[in-house]
Amino acid sequence: MSENKDVISVKGVTKVYSDNGVPVDALRGIDLTIRTGEFTAIVGPSGSGKTTFLNIISGLDTCSEGEVWLNGKLLSRMSGRELSDFRRDSIGFIFQAYNLIPVLTVEENIEYVMLLQEVPKKERQRRVSDILGMIGLAGFENRLPSKLSGGQQQRVAVARAMVSEPAIILADEPTANLDSTTSGALLDMMRDLNRKTGMTFVFSTHDENVMERAQRLVTLRDGRIHGDKHINVAG
Amino acid sequence: MMIYVKLAWRNLLRNKRRSFIAGTAIGIGLAALIFVDALLLGMERNMIDSATASFLGQGRIQRTGFQDTQQADLTIGSLEKVLEGLRQEPILRHFTPRVLTYSMVSSPSNLSSIELVGIDPVTEKPVSEIDEAIVKGDYFSGDNDRDILIGDRLAEILKVSLGDRLVVTVSQAETGDLSQDLFRVSGIFRLNITEMDRGMAFVRLKKAQAMLGIGNDVHEIALVFADSKSGGDAGLPFWRKYSRFGNEAMGWPDIMPQLEAVFKLSRFSTYLAGLMLFGVVALGIINTLFMSLHERMFEFGVLRAVGTRPFSILQLVTYEAGSLAVLSIVLGGILGFVVTYIVAQTGIDYTGIEYSGVTFRKLIYPVLHIRQFIEYPLWLFLFTMLVGLYPASYAARMSPAAAMRRSL
Repeated sequence: MSENKDVISVKGVTKVYSDNGVPVDALRGIDLTIRTGEFTAIVGPSGSGKTTFLNIISGLDTCSEGEVWLNGKLLSRMSGRELSDFRRDSIGFIFQAYNLIPVLTVEENIEYVMLLQEVPKKERQRRVSDILGMIGLAGFENRLPSKLSGGQQQRVAVARAMVSEPAIILADEPTANLDSTTSGALLDMMRDLNRKTGMTFVFSTHDENVMERAQRLVTLRDGRIHGDKHINVAG
Repeated sequence: MMIYVKLAWRNLLRNKRRSFIAGTAIGIGLAALIFVDALLLGMERNMIDSATASFLGQGRIQRTGFQDTQQADLTIGSLEKVLEGLRQEPILRHFTPRVLTYSMVSSPSNLSSIELVGIDPVTEKPVSEIDEAIVKGDYFSGDNDRDILIGDRLAEILKVSLGDRLVVTVSQAETGDLSQDLFRVSGIFRLNITEMDRGMAFVRLKKAQAMLGIGNDVHEIALVFADSKSGGDAGLPFWRKYSRFGNEAMGWPDIMPQLEAVFKLSRFSTYLAGLMLFGVVALGIINTLFMSLHERMFEFGVLRAVGTRPFSILQLVTYEAGSLAVLSIVLGGILGFVVTYIVAQTGIDYTGIEYSGVTFRKLIYPVLHIRQFIEYPLWLFLFTMLVGLYPASYAARMSPAAAMRRSL
């Protein structure tokens, strides 16, 4: 494994759930490597194992068998606290339902991870201000999420995921609740940030918009990789 | 971390109605504890006052062994030295010498065994309430040494009234010979203390000394302190200072150990009631926090996903419990103060009711004390935080993926 370039490396990963005592194979021997800066979409029908795969490569869930290496670290060797710190410093999450903390303002939501990282206040304010400018929400700092549209909330979620400058952004169906225009604009923004910052993006999605913009399409079906296609996207 | 305190408060205020109802329920518990404590304190003071102010005094000096045997020859040792010392005591307000002996009193109709007390009418007046309790006749107004004051119940037993004659028989100190004397009822008192109204009679000190043949000696010196709390202070150097010459000086808790035992029992009952109340409060807190947790499970999953450590989740939920406690303390403290203050002004009427040998002679006024607003809220706060650890550890231990799945 070339640890400098392979940001995610998955070897022989399986995941078996117990559904009322009945074992269910969610993932069946996944091998996959994702390199730094890739804009990858994991696609497949519902129940194919996309979300499970994202949960496992982020350390939110554990695999039944196999190894997951992230940024050169073997996740199974990390304690709960190390995993938390690793996610805090290396991974940004974007969820389908935005999942901003409703009692925190836009600014507080974005700076939350930086608070965990103990970034000084001035630096936090500078980064929040910069990223709000980048996502077109300057002036929305003190609004609560409930006062934003779905698209605006998801942009704040993107900002929250990116502001701490993690190596990897994992997005679980980030456009599922957005109309096509909004989702297109959001994806263009993320693609642009991907080009500018070199962050690695991994999406799980059904959305054609995502697939059109992805550099790489990994297709999952019944817990197995059914296809892995690199696409040359202009720009 | 301040962010968790901020999050805890905002989460608490997220569902204002639920938080207010839960806070009020817990607060009512706190208010009840404050009120019961204040009432108990008022009751203790009332009982002490009833027991000490009526006759006993806040403390007394006797010859060692007299309390148990009431032997007439056990008079106070080195009386003059003791009296001289007492006259110079700055912490004493009043004191009075007494002679006490068991005796038989008979009228033409009946007879009864009583405790005969020889008193100095002048020095006795500010120590006891005999003079104020006279319901018929007067309190040693002249200088007739055959005057006797008896309780109204004893008067009923003996079927006598003012001016009637009584014969009192005592056993003399030195020889044990019986000594009889004739008295005339000059006053009838009612202290509303059964034992006293039925079983005590007062004569002049000199007359009692003469009947017992003890010269100028006395059996007891009753004490009233400048600070009423001194009588209950076992650590007061005064007691040691006057427990010499064969005498023993003691405060009211030693004189009436049963009263102190009753107070201890009452306090224990309050703690027990508090414990039960805290048990109910605990269930309320756990229920409120779990309802809140289950509604926000996905949020906890998100917080964990973005790198919040399990311990920080534990902190967050514990702070929420703490915030609920603070809200409850504010509500309960205000409610407890208002209710107790109102009742402390109006009083509760238990007059005439006897409890543990003491009859309440005045209204009971609950006593507000700063301790009630520090100790109980502090306990409630710590207890709430402690109880909050259960839902907090539940939230902290949940895997982020499971938390997010559970809400979907």
